[in-house]
Amino acid sequence: MAVSTSLQLEQTPAERLRWQSVTLAWTSLLFVLFPVLASLGLFMRAYQANLFPRLDPAWFYTAMTLHGLGMVGLWYTTSFAGMAYLVARYVRMKAGVMWLSFTMTLAGVVLLLVACAVRFSPGWYFLYPLPFKSGGTWPAWATDVFLATLLVLGVAWILWILHLLWAIAHRYALSQALCWHYLRNATQPEVPPVVLVSTVSGIASLTALLAAVILLVFLGLERLLGIPADPLLMKNLTFYFGHTLINVAMYQGVAIIYELFPRYTGLPWKTAKPMVIGWNAVMVLVMFAFFHHLYMDFVQPRAVQVIGQIASYSSALPAAVVTILGLLAQVYHRKVRWTLASVLMFAGTMGWAIGGTAAVIDSTIVVNFRFHNTQWVPAHFHTYLLIGLVLIVLGFTAHFTQEVSGEPERSRISKAIATLWLLGGYGFVSLFYIGGWHSVPRRYAGYPREVAEGSLYARLALMLVLPLILALLIYIWEVGKRWLAAYAAARRPS
Amino acid sequence: MVQTIAFAIWAVIVLAILATYGYFAWSARTPLDGEEYYKAVARLRRPLFIVLVLLLAATLALTLPRIPYPRRDIVPDRVVHVVGKQFSFAVSEQPITTDADFARAIGERVRLPAGALVEFRVTSRDVNHGFAVYDPEGHLLGQTQAMPGYVNRLLMRFDKPGTYHALCLEYCGLAHHAMRGTFEVLASEKLARR
Repeated sequence: MAVSTSLQLEQTPAERLRWQSVTLAWTSLLFVLFPVLASLGLFMRAYQANLFPRLDPAWFYTAMTLHGLGMVGLWYTTSFAGMAYLVARYVRMKAGVMWLSFTMTLAGVVLLLVACAVRFSPGWYFLYPLPFKSGGTWPAWATDVFLATLLVLGVAWILWILHLLWAIAHRYALSQALCWHYLRNATQPEVPPVVLVSTVSGIASLTALLAAVILLVFLGLERLLGIPADPLLMKNLTFYFGHTLINVAMYQGVAIIYELFPRYTGLPWKTAKPMVIGWNAVMVLVMFAFFHHLYMDFVQPRAVQVIGQIASYSSALPAAVVTILGLLAQVYHRKVRWTLASVLMFAGTMGWAIGGTAAVIDSTIVVNFRFHNTQWVPAHFHTYLLIGLVLIVLGFTAHFTQEVSGEPERSRISKAIATLWLLGGYGFVSLFYIGGWHSVPRRYAGYPREVAEGSLYARLALMLVLPLILALLIYIWEVGKRWLAAYAAARRPS
Repeated sequence: MVQTIAFAIWAVIVLAILATYGYFAWSARTPLDGEEYYKAVARLRRPLFIVLVLLLAATLALTLPRIPYPRRDIVPDRVVHVVGKQFSFAVSEQPITTDADFARAIGERVRLPAGALVEFRVTSRDVNHGFAVYDPEGHLLGQTQAMPGYVNRLLMRFDKPGTYHALCLEYCGLAHHAMRGTFEVLASEKLARR
């Protein structure tokens, strides 16, 4: 076994069962929420392709809000759940806290659905003051329900992050968890990469959620006391929160890979100095890279904008030099056990690299001047989500359900899923890239004549995505069966 | 032009990434004993880091001097006031400070001389909007945000006469996709005859 089993803590059968149960609960969301949210995305592309000419555009924007918020929440939480399942082998986390977060997250989803039922649609990052100025599209109480949603989700997620950091702190001092002793060439205590990345992700997440708390306080002050907030400050807080959260979701996916992928190559992936430097740099850089979302706010200080470009460029270095090169080294002339899990994780990092490259290009101020809020933006984030992080989480789920259920894998089915997903995924996102290249705006329910080709691109995207839809259905069928078997196994008295 | 260069650079890098992943995945078909192969790839870390740093530093050096933020000492040939409000842009050569100004400016057709340095002073009377200027062929030339409480100064020079449109590139509500503003750019002599 390639993992550092000597570092793992002994889990009682009851503890193992509790972790399996809560992870089954989190992964069940993939089989329910993902198809629903993906259907909303398809509906949006169909709307842009003029397939619903009589339907009120408010439904397009409501679908956009639900799709965006839902997907960000889904991949942030499920990647956290995957990482927590693995890190719980090294530090004493309590599955009960995961259950509490799960319950509160579900409550947040219900509240969000209530708000969206009355066409609440300020977009996933609800840029102030739009939630309060809907132009009559949604009632004021829908904004209140949404603020309650934020509150519930914020508390749920802060709770589990604090718990993660608390559990890590019980075994390692902060400097050890961040592996600073490796910089002095000391390798004791040995810290597995999953703990290092969990610590970095936890700290970054915490800062993001604190920004969200401040944001919520300002929104509450305006709603309750009529005290308006500063739009530029609110924009900075919003993008700090959103940018950091979605980046952390990717880091959590990388933590899963560090821990799981070596089990398929038989080669240990140990913490080393370049990894430590890289991840500590990431923790700092992610806090400054978000400025690239505000390049088109010319009143931001010029120095801040330049810092945004430098930080965005720099954050690409650890990803390429530490993680991606490390993964490639893992497979180079190795006897790799290619299964659905390992193939999806491997391919997921490729999507991360390709989407990340597009993001770095867009983080160049002179390029952003022409790409900002065009379809280049959904192009790059769909690349590192739909054919990046999503594949990693689905890979984790395939691994986890197989581990618990012991069900064998059908390799032809696995090959079909991976091939169809990649074909459909790359085909789908390519139309976003072409749209961005041709100045087609993002988030448009319909296209004016200057960018009328946007409809054609949407139509083509709907055709090209068909293999991915098929892959998703096969995945749900195949891994869903395994999930049910794992559920049965987890309930069976040992 | 910028869009095409950016797209081309991205496409070349994508091909390189696909080829690299393909090569490494293919190499796993011929597994070899020992950790030498792992170490051979790990030794690439330092050169890869240096190459990437040089590439990124060169891009910074090339692009940072061209950032679109206006210096305070620049004096434009023309000043145009732009105000966004759900769901239209008012574009005027007169300041727009009240709703009455906004209503007047909606009906105004601003005409600008080709080649002149134009400063757009962009703000909003309600929510965030994105003031994005499209040329007559539908190419996005540049943009800035229209934000309540702030004025963003956008400097542009239009060489080609014709009708230019502004589309909103920051989601602002139900009719976001229908929000627009218009102005004309005329050859200098044609403008003088008017």
